[in-house]
Amino acid sequence: MEGIGIAWQGLLAQLISFAILFGLLTFLLYKPVRRMLDERSNRIKEGMEQAELIKERLSQTERQVRQQLEAARKEGQNVIAQAEKMGEQVKDEARQEARQEAQAIIARSRLEIDRERDEAMEELRRQFVDLAITAAEKVIRETLDREKHRRLIAEVLEEGAKEGGDG
Amino acid sequence: MPRIGCLGRIIIVTFVLLVLLIIGRLFFPLPMPHIELAAEEVFSIAGFPITNTMLAAGLTILVVGGVSYAATRRMRLVPKGLQNFVEAVLEVLINFVEDTAGKEYGRKFFPVIATIFIFVIANAWLALIPGFMFIGIGEEQVPLLRGANTDINFPLALALISFVFVEYWGFRSHGFFRYMRRFFNPRGLLRGIGQIFRGKLRSGLGSLFTGVIEAFAGLIEMISELVRIVSLTFRLFGNMTAGELLILIMLFLIPWVAVIPFYGLELFLGFVQALIFGGLTLVFVVMAVTPREEYE
Repeated sequence: MEGIGIAWQGLLAQLISFAILFGLLTFLLYKPVRRMLDERSNRIKEGMEQAELIKERLSQTERQVRQQLEAARKEGQNVIAQAEKMGEQVKDEARQEARQEAQAIIARSRLEIDRERDEAMEELRRQFVDLAITAAEKVIRETLDREKHRRLIAEVLEEGAKEGGDG
Repeated sequence: MPRIGCLGRIIIVTFVLLVLLIIGRLFFPLPMPHIELAAEEVFSIAGFPITNTMLAAGLTILVVGGVSYAATRRMRLVPKGLQNFVEAVLEVLINFVEDTAGKEYGRKFFPVIATIFIFVIANAWLALIPGFMFIGIGEEQVPLLRGANTDINFPLALALISFVFVEYWGFRSHGFFRYMRRFFNPRGLLRGIGQIFRGKLRSGLGSLFTGVIEAFAGLIEMISELVRIVSLTFRLFGNMTAGELLILIMLFLIPWVAVIPFYGLELFLGFVQALIFGGLTLVFVVMAVTPREEYE
């Protein structure tokens, strides 16, 4: 035993050194690292749970959003359709109104034209009568019964107008 | 470039080694290694000898403790640098222990197993630092440091700790008497004797026979537990001492270059020995706490 060096002092010293290292490592290494590993695994577990929750909530929200979008689109289509219908109606009404107005204008114009024509004809007739009288006066060169003449001529013209109107 | 055959390569390597040997021996000789199996006393405090291996063990404690302190001084949830490295190593060890012993026992066994592993591997690797053994002190040039694994007292101390650890857990998990029954199992014998006294000679002799076998098995069990101390001690001591001597001799024979592969070998060997010592202790303690049907 002497040759390979077993000695109680050495044995004791190495036992003590093992105890020292054991204590040191327990407090400096094993406990902190253990704590850290446990904490980290806890954190990760928590994180994953949270992620799961968030994912679920997200999909829920997405579904809601999609539903709302769907509803909004449907509503929008409704509104558009209604607006189109209304626009069509307004257009129809406007067209109707315009047509009526146009017809009214045409009718009024026709009336006006008739009236002016009548007036013009009257005027023409009157001037013609005067002209005829003057002409007759000039032809005869003497003033007979002016009233008589006028009536005579008017009669003639009346007849003529009647014939012309018919013709 | 011509192809060199296997034989050619061997010849070239041999030639180079020879040239290195001659150059080393002639121009850069190292002193004849100072080989001493027992740890040598460097100085003594009040009659208590302080050997170079004790100093080396102290240095190991300082280095390992220092690294641990530096790594865990400011722990971060997201580790980096030294903390990351230390955590990775420790996690491998934790997984190793917990895979073998189960989650519940693994937590309890881990500190002892890990300390054995770390102590052995740190001793082995620190002793590989070039020049570790070459700081002489005193008139006889006693090396100041020498790998603690190569002092028989250190493996012996570890083996004793391992033994006490294993038996402690055996007793603790089974109870004193039940665990003792593994080693002293006289039930069969007593039953046989009782049967003979009651006149059942035939079955009594049968029970007596199996009782003797059981008692003998218990004896073998006890011896095997005790022999573990010796085998653990000498496995570590022998391997590490042989490795140290190998490096010393190679340094002496072929200085400087040829020793490098042996350094690599010794690095690996240090790891393997640490793993074996820790792993065997772990296996023994698991065997000790595992219930056996025959005794329950």
